[in-house]
Amino acid sequence: MSAISESTKHRTLVAAIGDEDTITGMLLAGIGQVTNEPGKEKNFFVTSESTKVEDLEKKYTEFTTRDDIAILLINQHLADKIRLLIDTFTKPFPAILEIPSKDHPYDPEKDSVLRRVRRLFGE
Amino acid sequence: MEALYFNIDSGYIEALVRGYRNGLLTAAQYVNLTQCDTLEDLKLQLSATDYGNFLSNESGVLSTSLIGTKLNDSLVAQFRYLKAQSSEPLAQLMEYITYGYMIDNVALMITGTVHERDRSEMLERCHPLGWFETLPTLSVATDLESLYETVLVDTPLAPYFHDCLSVDDLDDMNIEIIRNTLFKAYLEDFASFAKTLPSPSDEVMARLLSFEADKRTINICVNSLNTELTPDDKLKMLPGLGKLANPAFQDQVAHADDLEQLKMVVTSIGEYKGFFDDSNGKSMEDHFYEYEMGLCKDAFTQQFTYSAVWAFIRSKEQEIRNIAWISECIAQNQKDRINNYIAAY
Amino acid sequence: MSGAGNRESVFPTRMTLSLMKGKLKGAEQGHSLLKRKSEALTKRFRDITKRIDDAKRKMGRVMQTAAFSLAEVSYATGGNIGYQVQESVSNKARFKVRARQENVSGVYLPQFEPVIDETINDFKMTGLGRGGQQVQRAREVYTKAVETLVDLASLQTAFVILDEVIKVTNRRVNAIEHVIIPRTENTIAYINSELDEVDREEFYRLKKVQEKKQQAVAAEEAEDAARKALMTEAQKADEATKVEELEKKVEAEQINVIEENEEDVIF
Repeated sequence: MSAISESTKHRTLVAAIGDEDTITGMLLAGIGQVTNEPGKEKNFFVTSESTKVEDLEKKYTEFTTRDDIAILLINQHLADKIRLLIDTFTKPFPAILEIPSKDHPYDPEKDSVLRRVRRLFGE
Repeated sequence: MEALYFNIDSGYIEALVRGYRNGLLTAAQYVNLTQCDTLEDLKLQLSATDYGNFLSNESGVLSTSLIGTKLNDSLVAQFRYLKAQSSEPLAQLMEYITYGYMIDNVALMITGTVHERDRSEMLERCHPLGWFETLPTLSVATDLESLYETVLVDTPLAPYFHDCLSVDDLDDMNIEIIRNTLFKAYLEDFASFAKTLPSPSDEVMARLLSFEADKRTINICVNSLNTELTPDDKLKMLPGLGKLANPAFQDQVAHADDLEQLKMVVTSIGEYKGFFDDSNGKSMEDHFYEYEMGLCKDAFTQQFTYSAVWAFIRSKEQEIRNIAWISECIAQNQKDRINNYIAAY
Repeated sequence: MSGAGNRESVFPTRMTLSLMKGKLKGAEQGHSLLKRKSEALTKRFRDITKRIDDAKRKMGRVMQTAAFSLAEVSYATGGNIGYQVQESVSNKARFKVRARQENVSGVYLPQFEPVIDETINDFKMTGLGRGGQQVQRAREVYTKAVETLVDLASLQTAFVILDEVIKVTNRRVNAIEHVIIPRTENTIAYINSELDEVDREEFYRLKKVQEKKQQAVAAEEAEDAARKALMTEAQKADEATKVEELEKKVEAEQINVIEENEEDVIF
């Protein structure tokens, strides 16, 4: 169990994938960090209507494999596009959190974790 | 005598502007808009106004940002039409109006360049009214000096840059300072140009611009509380016109350390007494907008003025903000705040 | 034989029997302990899932308020500040998290805590000309929103970890309950039945020996009766030694039986 505590110690960042408004808000809260270190340039990703699913997958994989991210926030409507990746992600870190966006209100039915909760209680 | 010849060159424009002004949403139309439950309803309501079916070509789900863009497009179209029809000195006045947008665009391009962003992406975000031919080439610059010498010297903004050429490196704080310094120079220049306009345009413009300047002064001082900006930095950004422009006031607001001190100074001016009154949930910004709309409305009471164009543009911008706000409230189901818009007409 | 079921391959001796009994006891104790651990975790787990459910719904509202504060910003600034905000981000995050650990029945659950460095403010200058106040307000609202999200993330991580641990624990409980305990019980039953078998054989043998002995005695008595008439007083003394000899023989036979027994065991 001490292995977890070791690996969590360096995980201090909150990353975010979302549309412009969501990211703007998150950045206002101060989660953003832009560095020159290769592979860790930015901890946020702004999507638009034209963002391709492949890019989304690439960023998602990048953020989930970075060792300094504790929490990954992702807009639910974007999570829907890469649902399989999220459903099959079982590691406790980083915590994947699906958040609503301005134009897409939150739908608990779609949330990977909540669906797991439901399944467990046989609903 | 001015009025006698006014119509030769500018009668058509004035008629147009007044027509446009009549197309601005009325209080009753705003009430209708606020009753909408969905953005589709809003679209329907708007189609009964001057906007017509400006959204009818949009398939798919309506979003607030889409509505905002479309509204802006309609403003740009109107502005361009007016500009195309205008003759001197109105054409010059309209040029001046675009300078404000240009400054924003230049600041945006510089910010993007500093962070090595994609140029086409930046250009997309530039305000169409502030477009000038050499705008795309701005991204070649690395420091302000070369920026000025290679690109900006050919633009109408060049004289404004004199004041901020001393800035040696372009970081975020400096860009914001540059933007505001430019704006100060721009407002001062605009005001001196406005003085050359025939009466009563000059008086109306002076009123509007002096308020614009005061608004910036107050904003800069309020927003720079608790930052590392020194009073000298602030003084450099405060426009030299408006009711707050006399050195005693400027000195006081620049040295104010907290909101209370600022309030003291600002409220000592009769017209601005209510600006810091937040009793009915109104922010300072709301008061500004309200006051400005009052001024714009008054501007239309004078006949044979060029200033009507400026007043119309400002009113239209306010209307766009209002509609964007209302659609935002509808989209996010925050109906209790929906009446925060400012309807002047 | 009782060894037909699932059992460990051991020799059915009393030694292994006591070993097996010890093992069974250990398994039962372990089972009840693990069961209790699993119950404690499940209780916690249910608690967390309920909280997640609530928190997720709450998040929907919080985010909505936050998004609205952004709408206020664009109303005040009359434009989109997103680009400016993105470009103002510096190389150090203001809002970070720290993971604290909480121990629930030997499981370490990470608990994220927001760490806000108030000295960093990338957006001081944003909206300097107009809307700066709204920007700062939106900043506060979003900071609160992200704090809620961090709480939720803690819950969710706890959920994922607990889910895993509970699965493992339940697997162990089930393994003990359905594999180890029955097998040990089977082994014990096998050893017992095997030992009983040996006991019965022993008993039968002893009975046989006794029977033989009685037959011998009866035969001798018959002989005696026949000879009695012929016997003299002197013959009586002889008889006594014979009885002694017989007793020795029986004893020797008994030893033999035990030896046979041992052979059987070895075999």
